[in-house]
Amino acid sequence: MENLKTIINTVLRNRGKQEVTEINENSHLRNDIGFDSLDLAELTVRIEAEYDIDIFEDGIVNTVGEVMQKINNN
Amino acid sequence: MDLFYSDISKNQKVTWDNLLDELNNLSEYNPYCYHQDFYLVFKHIILSLLLEREIIMLDSDFSEDEIQKLTRSTQLARNNININKKNRPAINSKNDLIDTINKVGQNWTITLFTSGTTGLPKKVNHTFHSITRFVKISEKNKSSVWGFAYNPTHMAGIQVFFQALLNGNPIIRLFGLSKDQIFDSIEKFEITNISATPTFYRLLLPAQGNFKSVNRITSGGEKFDEKIAEQLKKIFLNAKFTNVYASTEAGTLFAANGNSFFIKPEMHSFVQIQENELIIHRSLLGQSEFSVSEWYHTGDMVKIVSENPLQFQFVSRKNEMINVGGYKVSPGEVEETIRNLEGIQDVRVFAKSNSVLGNIICCEVVKTSDEIDELSIRSFLQSKLQEYKIPRIIKFTNKISITRTGKIKRI
Repeated sequence: MENLKTIINTVLRNRGKQEVTEINENSHLRNDIGFDSLDLAELTVRIEAEYDIDIFEDGIVNTVGEVMQKINNN
Repeated sequence: MDLFYSDISKNQKVTWDNLLDELNNLSEYNPYCYHQDFYLVFKHIILSLLLEREIIMLDSDFSEDEIQKLTRSTQLARNNININKKNRPAINSKNDLIDTINKVGQNWTITLFTSGTTGLPKKVNHTFHSITRFVKISEKNKSSVWGFAYNPTHMAGIQVFFQALLNGNPIIRLFGLSKDQIFDSIEKFEITNISATPTFYRLLLPAQGNFKSVNRITSGGEKFDEKIAEQLKKIFLNAKFTNVYASTEAGTLFAANGNSFFIKPEMHSFVQIQENELIIHRSLLGQSEFSVSEWYHTGDMVKIVSENPLQFQFVSRKNEMINVGGYKVSPGEVEETIRNLEGIQDVRVFAKSNSVLGNIICCEVVKTSDEIDELSIRSFLQSKLQEYKIPRIIKFTNKISITRTGKIKRI
């Protein structure tokens, strides 16, 4: 989770957006963290670089929990 | 010594007498021109003209696989033809040679392949007339010394070759040489004319020195960069700058000062701009193996600067446009913007496919200052470009990838 938070904050920082201090399984990527499609696109690339999985391959995922699941299933 | 060709990297010097000697003694001809050595390419073209036989230009770095696909020939050597020297009068002087070449008939064709950045290279045939359309023969041009900075098997290189050949000028290799070798050659041979891609010039910079002999710098093949021109003017103080538009399909069509191409009134009926794409009339083209409708879509996206007289600027190649979530991004525009940042030497913008947006913009950067990092580039771009154009992935590197014709690699 910590690692994912770091990646999420990198994306936020790159767009000049406010970084997050706390996230949990239910944190919604768009509604809570404030990602738009460009951020989601960058997120997929960074996660793929780190964990070798395209989290959106089978469709959009919405929460941190769902992202963790994709990563852990790999 | 009347020099025909020289390559400083190989200590190679060929005089017109050497050339004539070799031409007069050749006993074999192969329509496929496939050589590493630029001199052999040039000699081959001249021979094809003297024999009035077709010549087919192949890149020296094509693999056997690629050649098989392009020529459908399993072994190039099988196409060798014996030629009887007795049937040909010997050529005794440079002027004799040039006169004979100028009289070549309609049957002579030269076949080129487009650079193939999108799929398999396309075959295009040209006649002597269409390939030499823009060649200017004059007394003034007789004393030019040409710096050869293109791939000799592609359109740009062949244009320079004919310009030099028909004016009897020496050709000095610059393409593929190191920066030092290039500047040495310019000084040693007192090169007067250089034609090259903006990428070639960009890779020469930064540079110091005063190369007084150069009186003409021509740029073609990619969008012209005002910033490069400014830097080049400091080392080539006596040079006039020209920008040229040419394609493998059409040969050279327009020239410009700076970025705006001016369409002469007599060309107006042969040029159209539709949905920002440059369209040209089929009569301007060489022969292509694909049937072309009356109007040929060049794939070049342009911006009209003025209607009367008609002037336009090149924006980017249509297929280079990157589709980011429906928004079209011109990699050239993003590159230009990034280059404006202090501390950036060079940059290459390209697409990476992405399951969210289709594509995202990435770039590799060569920096000259340690103060440059991802964040500084991003905050600079925030105020200059729309969000979707800003590269999502920024990598720092020592070298930018370029194609076999000396242009920035886009895919």
